[in-house]
Amino acid sequence: MATKRKATARKSAKGAIKAVKGGGGAYRVAKTYKSPRAVSVKELPFQFSRADLEFIGVDHSGASYEARVFINNPNADQETPKTEASGYAGSFSVFGHGGCFGDVGHCDINQRRDEFDLRPSHPLEAIKKVVIATDAIKKAAAQSADITITVIPVVMSWTDKSDLEDVLKFDHINLVSYD
Amino acid sequence: MAGLTVRKNADDLPAEELQAIREAYRNAQQIMDNRGYNHFAGLHGIPNWWCWHHDHSQRSNVNAQLFLPWHRAYLLYFERAIRDQRPPNTEVGLPWWDWTSPRSHVTGVPEAFSNAGDRQPNPLFSARIVAPTANPPIDRMTRRSPRQPRELPTPADVTDVLNLTQFDDFSRQLEGIHDFIHGWTGGGLGDMGNVGTAAWDPIFWSHHCNIDRLWYLWQIRHGESNIPPNLLPMVLPPFSLTVRDVLNINALGYEYAVSLVRI
Repeated sequence: MATKRKATARKSAKGAIKAVKGGGGAYRVAKTYKSPRAVSVKELPFQFSRADLEFIGVDHSGASYEARVFINNPNADQETPKTEASGYAGSFSVFGHGGCFGDVGHCDINQRRDEFDLRPSHPLEAIKKVVIATDAIKKAAAQSADITITVIPVVMSWTDKSDLEDVLKFDHINLVSYD
Repeated sequence: MAGLTVRKNADDLPAEELQAIREAYRNAQQIMDNRGYNHFAGLHGIPNWWCWHHDHSQRSNVNAQLFLPWHRAYLLYFERAIRDQRPPNTEVGLPWWDWTSPRSHVTGVPEAFSNAGDRQPNPLFSARIVAPTANPPIDRMTRRSPRQPRELPTPADVTDVLNLTQFDDFSRQLEGIHDFIHGWTGGGLGDMGNVGTAAWDPIFWSHHCNIDRLWYLWQIRHGESNIPPNLLPMVLPPFSLTVRDVLNINALGYEYAVSLVRI
């Protein structure tokens, strides 16, 4: 049985934008995300076998990037090691469309659809990404710590039409636990 | 196994097989009609957009987890097109790129794909993109700027995914690794990092061959028909195959055996 906990996402304007050489290919760090509220461990069930962080409404219209998710490490950045000790919970990756290659309006998601419109939905409709974060969430719960989420987007690949500063866009995060 | 095409690790190809694959790719890249490399690369993103990612295709009004079966069908047709261009008296199968291997964690992209070529251009290193209907039109060679090999997924990362028992869960997590490899391999302005042009980079096929191989390994563990039943009759255009048709790779004419010992 799934128990859902929802944390409302808000893009964070915090975080420096840096271009960091990755040896054989530069990569860039865009604006980071810090959860607007902490999730109290009291909101989690006493026992669970799996805990997922569902990122709802992820934009994939631009650059391709890795989003590194950290629990209870608000100071995490692109140099933070992806280890348990640093609160690393996992990553999701976005294979992006690279920006808009059509004419004006081509990449606008048209919301005006009625029940007789049989055309496919817009290809840039937002997607869902799931990070299996069981170990990191259990560790935080065992420490009776409230849970904050920090997401560091590391841009890996882009086109000259890509916005490189504001790649990480999503509607909200669900923290979902399972028996 | 008689008659089956055996797909092999790109790092372990015998020299004569690698040469045959190069010639097949080179021949296909010189054909600009619907038998050629440019045609098949253009089915994925720009300009035809048949690909399935994240439960969605621009060609369908249905949301369905077809990422794995669609790409299996895509590779099948591409492999057939390449095999049609192979030199006489040779056998050619799509090689896979195991990005978790110790060698990949040192060299990154397999050597066969990362050498631009000495006396003549290496058709596994880059290919020409001809997409006159793209906006703006594209006519150039592919480009690639891979990141650090140590960032590639580990065997443990793949094992975690292979241990997932539900198809939707497995497919979504494997697609996540797939997404990472695209961005990693493209790097900067590389084509593998962009859905629209990724399929022109020759490494695309070997990357997806590994994805398909991992689905096959998962099927061995959890059942060949372990897939939501409602997906089975779904057609995988532009290929005349359904999901049910692509579940058994031997029935499609190929195999991923790491070794074969004849007794």
